[in-house]
Amino acid sequence: MRYDQHVLPNGLTIVGEYNEDAQSMAVGFFTRTGSRDETPEISGVSHFLEHMMFKGSERRSAEEVDLEFDAMGARYNAFTSEENTVYYGAVLPEFQERLIDLLTDMLRPSLRQDDFDTEKKVILEEIAMYKDRPQFTVYVFARETYHHGHPLGNSVLGSTESITALERDQMLAYFRRRYAPNNMVVVLTGKYDWDAAVKQIEQTCGGWEQGDASRTITQPDALELERMQPDSKRDRVYLAAVAPAPSAQDATRYAAEVLAEALGGGEGSRLYWALVHPGLADSANMDYSGEDGAGAFYVYASCDPERTTEVIDLIRATLATAQNDGLSDDQIARARRKLASALVLRAETPMGRLVTVGFDYVYRKRIEPLNESVDRLLAVTNEDVAALLHERAFEKLTLVGYGPLAEAS
Amino acid sequence: MPQSIQTFRLDNGLSVVVESMPHLRSAAWTLLVAAGSATDPDGQSGAAQVLNGMVYRGAGERDARQLSNALDDLGVQRGGGVGVEYTTLSGALLADDLENALALYADIVRRPQLPEAELDAERALALQAVQSLNDNPTQRLFVELGKAYFPGPFGRSTLGEVEELQRIDHGSLQRDHAARYRPEGGVLAVAGGVEPERVREIAERLFGDWQDAPPMPPQPQVRTEPFYQHLPQDTNQTQIAVAYPSLALAEPDYYHERLALNVLSGGMASRLFTEVRTKRGLVYSVFAAPRVYRSLGLVLGYAGTQPDRAQECIEVLLDTLQRISEGVTQEELDRARTGLLAALVMQGESTGARAGAMASDLFLIGRPRSLDEIRGAIDGVTRESLNAYLAQHPPHDFAVLTLGPSPVEVASAV
Repeated sequence: MRYDQHVLPNGLTIVGEYNEDAQSMAVGFFTRTGSRDETPEISGVSHFLEHMMFKGSERRSAEEVDLEFDAMGARYNAFTSEENTVYYGAVLPEFQERLIDLLTDMLRPSLRQDDFDTEKKVILEEIAMYKDRPQFTVYVFARETYHHGHPLGNSVLGSTESITALERDQMLAYFRRRYAPNNMVVVLTGKYDWDAAVKQIEQTCGGWEQGDASRTITQPDALELERMQPDSKRDRVYLAAVAPAPSAQDATRYAAEVLAEALGGGEGSRLYWALVHPGLADSANMDYSGEDGAGAFYVYASCDPERTTEVIDLIRATLATAQNDGLSDDQIARARRKLASALVLRAETPMGRLVTVGFDYVYRKRIEPLNESVDRLLAVTNEDVAALLHERAFEKLTLVGYGPLAEAS
Repeated sequence: MPQSIQTFRLDNGLSVVVESMPHLRSAAWTLLVAAGSATDPDGQSGAAQVLNGMVYRGAGERDARQLSNALDDLGVQRGGGVGVEYTTLSGALLADDLENALALYADIVRRPQLPEAELDAERALALQAVQSLNDNPTQRLFVELGKAYFPGPFGRSTLGEVEELQRIDHGSLQRDHAARYRPEGGVLAVAGGVEPERVREIAERLFGDWQDAPPMPPQPQVRTEPFYQHLPQDTNQTQIAVAYPSLALAEPDYYHERLALNVLSGGMASRLFTEVRTKRGLVYSVFAAPRVYRSLGLVLGYAGTQPDRAQECIEVLLDTLQRISEGVTQEELDRARTGLLAALVMQGESTGARAGAMASDLFLIGRPRSLDEIRGAIDGVTRESLNAYLAQHPPHDFAVLTLGPSPVEVASAV
């Protein structure tokens, strides 16, 4: 592995993790913007704009963008979250120049009105699709309830109403504000040609104008509460619990990852033994999500409606027991071992490594070499996890439920 | 760097296939046994699913918790699951620990404790998976399409049926394990930073004295006339699925079918995406994908759209599929070829993807396909040969299923 970095005068940063043994290379444009950077009037614009980037530029029509990706045999896509929008592709190394040309061109889009109108229908279909997925509904409900007004609770998709009302000029204004080069990072992984990439990106993006794309960082104020959203159309109940956790910049994030893995990292975790193994719930998981200046633990479970109270009590008891009594050394060791092996396996492919490397830089301005990440995970001790539990985050638990619940509480 | 794949066959009929990727610290395996929903005992649909859950609830000397801890101590990322023709037990980890992990899996597949006290819990999980189907309309749609397309055992849901899951008891579970978790026709595929000879020795030691063959799956029955069926459900989107016959992997024209399918549904420039989504904005998700079994193949198509546009959506979907018989352009064929080959090269970087693909190849055609073999086969398809093939073999006998608030009209011509 070799690590590369270059910053253009306009603030666009290019970073890379070179792997001589790879068969492919991947490129990602990471933009520090998402639903948390939206106001209610433009709710969903970040994600809608992500779709519009594929609709062409001065040089290309929408069809030509699609054709060029497919002519390279690229694996490509984009995603939008609460705080990042990422455009990426992976190709065989011979296509590096064409892929960079396409991605840099896409990111200065034309936003043509007729493309905007057609794509709006696609976004409305995507919203309708997720309404048929209760696991997604409970995710959105949990984030919104936990953040209660804090922008990290904003919906990524927006609503049918906000998208229907959204106009092209509002999107254009948002684009100009957020897609400044100083708010973006270009990430390369795998078997790439660094000098050629830097030269090409300098030529195509060197003229992009800097802007003020700052973001106000505040802490959400966690509340202990319980909210239910009854929906008799569902057959099962979907539960989520949210509690405060370290931010993506916090040094204790590794301990947070180990804690979430030990408590809810699937098979072998405490929630698994308490809920899934005895057949009380068909799923029970916990994730740690480190965000910009904030962070949270998320627990998800689904169960038969008549078991709702029992499952809620067991989730609460599992978290409380961990908080009061701590974890065993063996549990900590297994959790960090599983996380370390997952990290190494994900790094097999340039595409698998891209998001890890990109978010390292976006959040912490430094790519952490794979071996260092593994070492830091394996160095997490029971004392580190105990220190985190000592903050008693699970006392401020936001718990939500969705499904055929007898009554709203 | 050239691919290095070696295949061994143990005396008991278990195939061992190893791809050495010496630059990697990681390794992955897929252990495949020929026990799928198609061979579930009659009246016990879902038996393979319950069995696959039960084998992890203690094996060899270890109870469920000790077994789980032993796997986690090695950092095993667990995978696998139950299909129509087989069950896979797969995993990935750092290559140094492969031997210890495979020893645990030899216990899991050969010496599970199948504790009677835990059967009800495992059954409860299986029942919940079936009861989740209404909340997952796309999954429900494809389960029902399978039943409609294959009237016999091949069409069974891998999740099982509520009443039949209730019939499984401890005795039937033990008999089922004894009958179906057998080496003949099974595969152990390993990819990563490993020595093929070493893997062979490990496989011999752990699996060499395993004996016997599982029951042969029945020949799939396929409904041969076109049909349309609607499942009423109060959903936000109408779900549309279509199935039609294609080819098995072993058939000579397989790559003609595969490339034509990539023209229909490869990247964003492919025909379905262009016609249904890009031009008309009818859907977020639309695709057609191959489904390959040992003796046959089919294409599964999907689109999801809001009810007021479902009629237009299904017409565009079926029309686009049918028009492939009019032929493809040279540019379309070139893109399809490049796309398939690039996907294969990138798949070759992942140990898990390679182990899974090799296990599937061994099961379906008895040998692993190398990248060079596939490249040669793909290069052998010309625009002329593909268009001649498509003119003679247009997509036909569409089986169409919709799920949503109201049905659509499907032209009798399909």
